Amino acid sequence: MKKLHFNNGCGALLAVLFLSATAWAHAEEFLSEEDLYGDDLSRSVVVDDPLQPINRVTFQFNDFVLLNLVQPLADGYQAVTPDPVEKGASNFFDNLRYPVRLAGNLLQGRAKGAWVETGRFAINSTVGVLGVFTPADEMEGFAPIPAEDIGQALGSWGVSEGPYLVLPFMGPSNLRDLVGMVGDRVVNPLDQPVSVIDDWNWEWQVALGVTEFTVNSPSIVERYLRLKGSAIDPYSSLRNGYTQFRRGAIAE
Amino acid sequence: MLVSAAQASEAELTRLKSVIDGAIDAIYADPAASSSQKQAQVRSVIEKEYDLNVIIRRAIGRNWNLMSGAEQEEVLKLVKQLVVKAYVEGMNGKSRPGVSFGEIVTISDKRMEIPCAIRMDEQTINVLYRLGRMRTGWQIYDIVAEDISVVSNYRDQIDDHFRRGSGAELIEKLRELLTKEDLNEEITL
Repeated sequence: MKKLHFNNGCGALLAVLFLSATAWAHAEEFLSEEDLYGDDLSRSVVVDDPLQPINRVTFQFNDFVLLNLVQPLADGYQAVTPDPVEKGASNFFDNLRYPVRLAGNLLQGRAKGAWVETGRFAINSTVGVLGVFTPADEMEGFAPIPAEDIGQALGSWGVSEGPYLVLPFMGPSNLRDLVGMVGDRVVNPLDQPVSVIDDWNWEWQVALGVTEFTVNSPSIVERYLRLKGSAIDPYSSLRNGYTQFRRGAIAE
Repeated sequence: MLVSAAQASEAELTRLKSVIDGAIDAIYADPAASSSQKQAQVRSVIEKEYDLNVIIRRAIGRNWNLMSGAEQEEVLKLVKQLVVKAYVEGMNGKSRPGVSFGEIVTISDKRMEIPCAIRMDEQTINVLYRLGRMRTGWQIYDIVAEDISVVSNYRDQIDDHFRRGSGAELIEKLRELLTKEDLNEEITL
């Protein structure tokens, strides 16, 4: 009788162990709630934002400027400019930023990137009539590549981001990218302090700057409104989006 | 296991393609349809195949436990509406996009990634769909567009909200966003 008890107890224990093992094995086939909903995100984004109170005010200021000054400008520009002209103008200014992209590639030791950018600049500036058209897009080996800049080069050298910043009129940045932006201006021969144009007076600079800004305004406004439309907190959304985008660009 | 993972990948690629095509059809098939009609159709297409709650629960993370049951349900419903609304309205006025899929990346037998490139108005947006194997089948648990993870982006916003606010305030904010017809309203802090 005793033996029978032992056998029953042992059988029950084995059954429990078997069922537990089966359940465990079965659970292992699927992602758990903790895997999916816990804190561990595969690409966790922690942003150093000690200046948040000031940044939020600047963000609000930029929001006002975008909606009340830039958006009407973008709408007006799009209303009077045929699509092909808009595209050509955008290509033209994009082509002029070649020195920045070249410097970004060279500083990261990306010889192939520097070669592709140089080839694209040469082809688009000549065959493409000063960069208005982009025939290089169709040429083997000269398809567009992700744009590099000095902020990215600094990031690839291991320079940390520093505090997150929202710059008046300029938008999201961080200390490293702000330094990079100054570097971008230095290597761009059309920007001060170094310019290749001898009689480069301030009127010409302002005219070029305003035109470039006007040409870029529709895409700036569109991207901003898209972000704002889906955001619970536009400030946090932009901070996170900017940081993820820059980290992704540096990692590539 | 490898064979089954490969088979699962192919099946999931076909499923994802049909959902994306269906969602694009819902937006572009009838130009006269209103935005809310399009949103309802898009939701129906997606929800036939995928559980949107997975991606939203992931975005909410541990903040989930800071809300009551009723608040949790409401937040799920409203965030879902907000995301679909933004998706549909973001396509407004644009030409029909072309979508091409890249090679599936099998991370493990429980995770895979499906890359695709969306070509729209001379712009190409690279998107990565992250899928996880759950008891309910393979589900999308994150979408990464141009290196920006949607889940991480919402998680940051929701974390920020719960540092200062409650579930009820989040619901109020979401309702306000959904009723806002015009995005051009200035931000109040």
